[in-house]
Amino acid sequence: MDQVTHQQDINTLSDAQIDVIERQIANKYMRIVPWGAVAWGIGNCLVFFSLFPLVMMDLLPLWLASPIATISIALSYLPSHEAQHNIIAGRGKPLRWLNELVGHMSTLPLVLPYRVLRATHMEHHAHTNDSELDPDFGVHAPSDKDFLIKTIRDRLTGSERDDSYGRTLDRIGQSALMLDALIYNTIYLIILFTLAWSGYALEAALLWWLPKHIAMTYISYYLSWAPHHPAEEQGRYRDTRAFKSKLGNALSMGMQYHIIHHLYPRIPLAKTPAAYREMKPILERKGCDLGAL
Amino acid sequence: MQQVIKFLFSPLAFAVGFLWPLFSQILLASQTVESNGLAISIGAVVAIGWGLMAQVRGSWIWIK
Repeated sequence: MDQVTHQQDINTLSDAQIDVIERQIANKYMRIVPWGAVAWGIGNCLVFFSLFPLVMMDLLPLWLASPIATISIALSYLPSHEAQHNIIAGRGKPLRWLNELVGHMSTLPLVLPYRVLRATHMEHHAHTNDSELDPDFGVHAPSDKDFLIKTIRDRLTGSERDDSYGRTLDRIGQSALMLDALIYNTIYLIILFTLAWSGYALEAALLWWLPKHIAMTYISYYLSWAPHHPAEEQGRYRDTRAFKSKLGNALSMGMQYHIIHHLYPRIPLAKTPAAYREMKPILERKGCDLGAL
Repeated sequence: MQQVIKFLFSPLAFAVGFLWPLFSQILLASQTVESNGLAISIGAVVAIGWGLMAQVRGSWIWIK
C-alpha cells in the first residue's frame, strides 16, 4: 500500500483505482476505540467542575484556576465530537453507553447539549460551506482578524448566528431538541446568578462565564473557520482544507488534518495525522487544498 | 412559564442576576470603594443601566 501512494505511482492509476486505495487507507484507521478521547472527555469534565470547590475552599487561587478553566473548556468539545460520529461505539455495540456518556459529559462545561450538537453537526457535514444549510457557516469571515471582530460583535449584538442551530433543528424536524438547550442554559444561568449573589461573582465570571467565551472563540476558530476557510467551495475534496498552524497541531486541536475528518468522519482525531500522511499523494491528485502541510 | 423563560434569557435579567453583583464585587475587591452599600449602589446603577440599554437596543453595544 505504501508503495502505491507515492505521487508518481498515483499518476499512473485510474480514478477508480485511486478511490479504492483511498478507502483502503481510511479503513486501516477506522474501528479503533479512542480510549484517549474517552479519558480526556470524562477527566476534563471532572477537572473543570472540581475547580469551583477548590477555589471556594481557598485550595486553589483564582488567578491560577481561571486559565485552567479556560483550557479545560476549550478542550471539552472534541471528545464529544468523537461521540457525535459514533467513533467510540456505534449503535448496538457493547460500548455504546460509553460513547453516549462521553458525548453528554464532555461538553457540559461549554453548556452545549450533546443531542443538539450531534444533529446540527451532521448537517454541517452534509452541507459544508452552504450559506443556507451549513449551521456553522456564520463563523466565516475574510480573514482571521475579521473572524475575531465578527465573533465578538455577534455575541454583543445578538446576531442571527445565535439562532443558526435552532433554525437547523427546525428545518430537519428536530426542534424538540431545543428543549435540551433551554434546560442547559437555564441551569447555567441559575448557577451563575446564584454564585454571583452568594458573593462568588468574580469566581463565576473567571471560572465559567469569561473562559466559556474565550474557549468558544478558540473552538470556532480552529474547528469551523480555519479548516473551511475561505468557505467558498463545496464538494467532497474542496470544502475542507489542510493547513499549517503557527501554533502546531496540538494547540490547534488537531485541526490541521481536518480534511481527513470530513472525508472519513469515523477516523479518530488522534489517527488523522497518520491517515493524512498516507493519503497525501491521493489528496494532491484530487486537487485538495493542502496548504503548507 | 414562557414569559418567565423569556425574561430569564433577557439582557436585563443578566444585568440584574450577574453583572450587578459582579460590578459590586469588582469595586470591593479592587478597593475602589470600601463601603458595601456604595459598591452595591454603583453596581446597580451601572449594571441595570447597561442592561436596560441592551434590552431596548437588542445589543450590548450601541451599534447593532
